[in-house]
Amino acid sequence: MRALVIDDSRAMRRIVSGILKDLGLEPYEAEHGQAALALLEDGLDPALACVDWNMPVMDGLTFVTSVRARPQWRSMTLMMVTTESEQSQIVRALAAGAHEYLIKPFTPDAMRAKLEILGLVRTETHA
Amino acid sequence: MSPIAVGEREIFEIAREVFDAMIPGGGALEEWHGDLPVQHEPLTAWVAFHGPFSGRAVLSSERGTVDDLASALLGLGPDAVVGDEDRLDAFGEIANMVGGNLKSLLPFPGTLGLPEVAAEPPADGVLLEKLRLSWGGRPIVITLWSTDSAAAALSEGSTLQ
Amino acid sequence: MSLSAESFEHVADLVLRRSAIRLAPGKEYLVETRLLGMARERGLADVEELVRQVRASGTEADRERIVEELTTNETSWFRDQLPFESLREHVLPRIVAERGPAARVRVWSAACSTGQEPYSIAMTAAEVLPPTASVEILATDLSDQVLAQARSGTYSQLEINRGMPASMMVRHLVRSGAQWQVNPDLRRSVTFRKHNLLDMLPLGPFDIVFLRNVLIYFDVAVKHDILRRVARVMAPGGVLVLGSAETVFGMDGEWSRVQAGRGSLYVVQRPATGAVPSVATGMTHTHRAAVVPALARGGQE
Repeated sequence: MRALVIDDSRAMRRIVSGILKDLGLEPYEAEHGQAALALLEDGLDPALACVDWNMPVMDGLTFVTSVRARPQWRSMTLMMVTTESEQSQIVRALAAGAHEYLIKPFTPDAMRAKLEILGLVRTETHA
Repeated sequence: MSPIAVGEREIFEIAREVFDAMIPGGGALEEWHGDLPVQHEPLTAWVAFHGPFSGRAVLSSERGTVDDLASALLGLGPDAVVGDEDRLDAFGEIANMVGGNLKSLLPFPGTLGLPEVAAEPPADGVLLEKLRLSWGGRPIVITLWSTDSAAAALSEGSTLQ
Repeated sequence: MSLSAESFEHVADLVLRRSAIRLAPGKEYLVETRLLGMARERGLADVEELVRQVRASGTEADRERIVEELTTNETSWFRDQLPFESLREHVLPRIVAERGPAARVRVWSAACSTGQEPYSIAMTAAEVLPPTASVEILATDLSDQVLAQARSGTYSQLEINRGMPASMMVRHLVRSGAQWQVNPDLRRSVTFRKHNLLDMLPLGPFDIVFLRNVLIYFDVAVKHDILRRVARVMAPGGVLVLGSAETVFGMDGEWSRVQAGRGSLYVVQRPATGAVPSVATGMTHTHRAAVVPALARGGQE
């Protein structure tokens, strides 16, 4: 399953991609919303996009709004991964069409829990 | 008193969460006791706040410490050589995480600027808070600045009392 | 033998590095109780011996398990997801269907730790119960320390990040400095009390009992005794939720397993005569779409 990691920080892209890879996803990266849209236009069809908020060229909220305006991308799950942590910002992102919201800083297990909520990784049981 | 509802305690709690979650190894972030040593090759990362409160959150440390922060954040080995781009990017992202979370505590949060990194921070503004911290015995200083002229005047007024 | 300072530090460091959860000195009791089950499984005398063995020759899986035992139970919202899905889609709608819109639902969350479980139950109830219905949740634990945090309902951002759906975060939490706090409405629906499972159980009857990942600390005779006493505080048709890897430990004649959607629950087995109205009956019928949109998606692989 493919995932698109959109963040202007290459360190953060590497961290998020590493966690996704450990969870069995196949990550692709983009450094802002515009570059991510270009990848989608080119036919990359990720099941999940992890979207930073504050980025140059095109911010994450604009990206989410753009994706939601395109019916052919409806099945894509969108998760904000950002330092924006006011409740009002979370509300805005959900209203724009984001499905989940992970606040930076986060640990790998928090990322995993969000993907479980989204049904993208299987709920862990330890026997 | 600063004109905003963010004090040393909140800054410390936020910085500690950032380090606990994202920067493994090197020990927990603690308060720095005593005088700060002279910084060799200082490096500064900051994010600006725009809106009802304008100001910035600034992290300062030495280049060697920043390299270790970058390799911890990136999960590189202890002897890894950190390139210029990784150094600037990682330090900027740490400032972004601290600053972004601080912004959410402002009474009327505005927008966050993109992180910037330089040897010296911008010279303007009024210092509201200064936290001297130790990351495994190495100093990291976090400062919060107001660049809003009205708030600056208020802050100066209160220090005269 | 009780846990040495060195072993405690080793475990605390492991947990910190992997999950960013800080086990401050004074939490030795937590390490000892949480790891006791794992020590016993391996035929070891105590937790000290377990930690020594893992330090000397432990595998990656051992270390992961230690972190899991010490963190997930305590700090995860909607832990394991499925029990909450069962409540939301089957158990609670069924109770309302049977008792009407003014239904009063009584829940017991045993071994509630720092409160994520009872608050997750309260949030689930708030999503599906009509405003005229009410839920009363009794949440108990052995430790005063965890109960103090649970009562305050205050969590760090890292704790909130761990499994709380964004929609719930927006609806039920408020910012409290750098931390987050469960809103007063939700806190009012949960009563916290210190309680030991070996003592007399709280007075039922309960429609729903969460007793997860705690029976592992007892031997079989005690497990059976606790489950027998739990059966007596269940409301007719009430459901018991165990940990995801737990069963009724061979008490199949007294408890039976029912499937509620993707989750499994246990109900007290009653004589075939006398049809007792049961919240568990008909649970295999999905008659309500998932209320949280995020949970309705899935299977996109």
